[in-house]
Amino acid sequence: MVSKNREVLYGLYNDEEELLDAIKVANKDHLDIMDVFTPFPVHGLDPLLDLKESRLHQAGFVYGAMGTLTAFLFMSWVFTRDWPVIFGGKPYWSVPAFIPITFELTVLFCAIGMVVTFYVVCGLGPGVTSPYLDPRITDDKFCIAFQTNDNSTSEIDNLRNFFSKTGASEVNTKVI
Amino acid sequence: MNDFTFTGRERTTFIGMILVGIISLVATYFMGDPMELHGQHTRFWSNLLHNSVFFTGISFIALFMLSAFTTAYAGWHTVMKRIWEAFSLFLVVGFCLMGFFAIATWMGWHDLYHWNMDGVLDPNNKELYDEILVGKSAFLNKNWYLLGTIIILGIWVLFALKLRGLSVGEDTKGGKNQFETHYSIRWWSAIFMPIAAFSSAALIWQWVMSIDSHWYSTMFAWYATASWFVSMLAMTLMVLIYLKSRGYFEKVTPEHLHDIGKYLFAFSIFWTYLWFSQYMLIWYANVGEETIYFHTRVNEYPVLFYGNLVVNFVLPFLILMRNDTKRKYGTLIFVSVIVFLGHWWDFFSMIKPGVLHTAHEVHEHHGHGADHGHAHDKVSDAVHHGADHAHEAAHGAGDHAAEAGHHAAEFLTGFTIPGFLELGTMIGFLGLFLFFVFSRLNSASLEPVNDPFLEESIHHHT
Repeated sequence: MVSKNREVLYGLYNDEEELLDAIKVANKDHLDIMDVFTPFPVHGLDPLLDLKESRLHQAGFVYGAMGTLTAFLFMSWVFTRDWPVIFGGKPYWSVPAFIPITFELTVLFCAIGMVVTFYVVCGLGPGVTSPYLDPRITDDKFCIAFQTNDNSTSEIDNLRNFFSKTGASEVNTKVI
Repeated sequence: MNDFTFTGRERTTFIGMILVGIISLVATYFMGDPMELHGQHTRFWSNLLHNSVFFTGISFIALFMLSAFTTAYAGWHTVMKRIWEAFSLFLVVGFCLMGFFAIATWMGWHDLYHWNMDGVLDPNNKELYDEILVGKSAFLNKNWYLLGTIIILGIWVLFALKLRGLSVGEDTKGGKNQFETHYSIRWWSAIFMPIAAFSSAALIWQWVMSIDSHWYSTMFAWYATASWFVSMLAMTLMVLIYLKSRGYFEKVTPEHLHDIGKYLFAFSIFWTYLWFSQYMLIWYANVGEETIYFHTRVNEYPVLFYGNLVVNFVLPFLILMRNDTKRKYGTLIFVSVIVFLGHWWDFFSMIKPGVLHTAHEVHEHHGHGADHGHAHDKVSDAVHHGADHAHEAAHGAGDHAAEAGHHAAEFLTGFTIPGFLELGTMIGFLGLFLFFVFSRLNSASLEPVNDPFLEESIHHHT
């Protein structure tokens, strides 16, 4: 995590189409966007920001496979070695009866594993406070933020020009 | 390129495929059967039923899918909906095929259905009288088989023609702020949904499930419909990607393919869910008259049984799990071909074991039964699977009892595994299907230019 406070210049947009157009302009002008905040996932945003595909789902596959193996091997061990019981005249190792539980544990391991991984990767946990730029970006505003710690006045003016040119409804600064 | 041309080369290819099919059917008619069943033409009739049901089902699901999407205000599929319309029109051919088969059933030209044998309903016929089939005779009788097939398929054909007519009419009549035709399409689609849901179950019961005439499963209709569903999606991908490679449907992007790929993935899992639920409930309850169905398949048709699961679940599940495999032509075509053949195989395994069993029973009664001439005081007990074995026991004195017991266990091409003649028949039906679909694509613009959802579909983004 960044230790020093960040000076941020951000602009708010009213519509996701305006946001996408603004990002295209920023990319053309080689402006270094710190981050973009939207109240909901916006289609086509990831490729514009050149974000890499998340590897969370690969972790999810591994957790799921672990769940499958855990459930199946555990039940196999219990019903053949540890405590063999005959249910309804079926053999000890009754694979069809194991399938629903194997399925459930696959889903459970996968879901819990992915949630925990997501929290760890994002640095979230109990007691962590998250600095925010503006509460309205969780409601109806779309935000582009630039970090301006090392920027000269002319560079900051250039950024402000960019915001007015692309139709931002508000431009603010904040230290977070 | 909105206007499709059905090239001469495609025409020749499809006619060639149809010829292969005809040659295969003729060959199976004259020499397909194992020696002792010669004269019953069981392999021919079961292949005809298998492929007619499979391809009619694909066109039915295309019609159902169109209605469901229209009713749900879905827009993403609009750029490619002409393909599904063309598929759904194959119901006209399906009507002829299944109509012919139903007439054959009514005339008694084949022995696929145990309930269709003379004497099973006659209490005076000690040898053949069958209480269970008497109980089912209100539904399983040759009159309803013929009538039901004609009425229900006829209704489907009417809806297919009506929806297609409206949709093509919209190309000239519709336009901005003129939604009358679209309201009309929506109305007809909504009506078709409940009709399709109930009537498809009835047809699957009488066409396929009644082959194992003592057996029943409440999940069977869903399971077979899911099989049709996946085959239809695989067929859509194959046709769509082929047509894209020829330069048509340039507005169909990887986004649309991604969605069809997701459908293919999801419905393969849905099919597996139904397959497994049907299997596990029967395995767990272990009621003799139900278990015999899977007992036969697991023990005597293991390749069919386990192969079915690998091809239709494991492969599509693992291959289509990744995001990018649903967006590339190569992987999509690969999975589509596998899954298409897999569900054809699935219908094979639904039909053939029961058919072979019934053929042997008919053969016993009509072929050699009379020769022995001894009284068969078979007890018509309620659990008839007992009775299947009781048959053999009753014939025990006759020397072919052991023989009859062994037949099913033998490796019989065309019954325990699809042979070249089965593949040839399938290729013939595929050729017929594609010929018909392409000629229908030829008859209207490939893009429904005035569909109100067209813009949404062009800008579709997953």
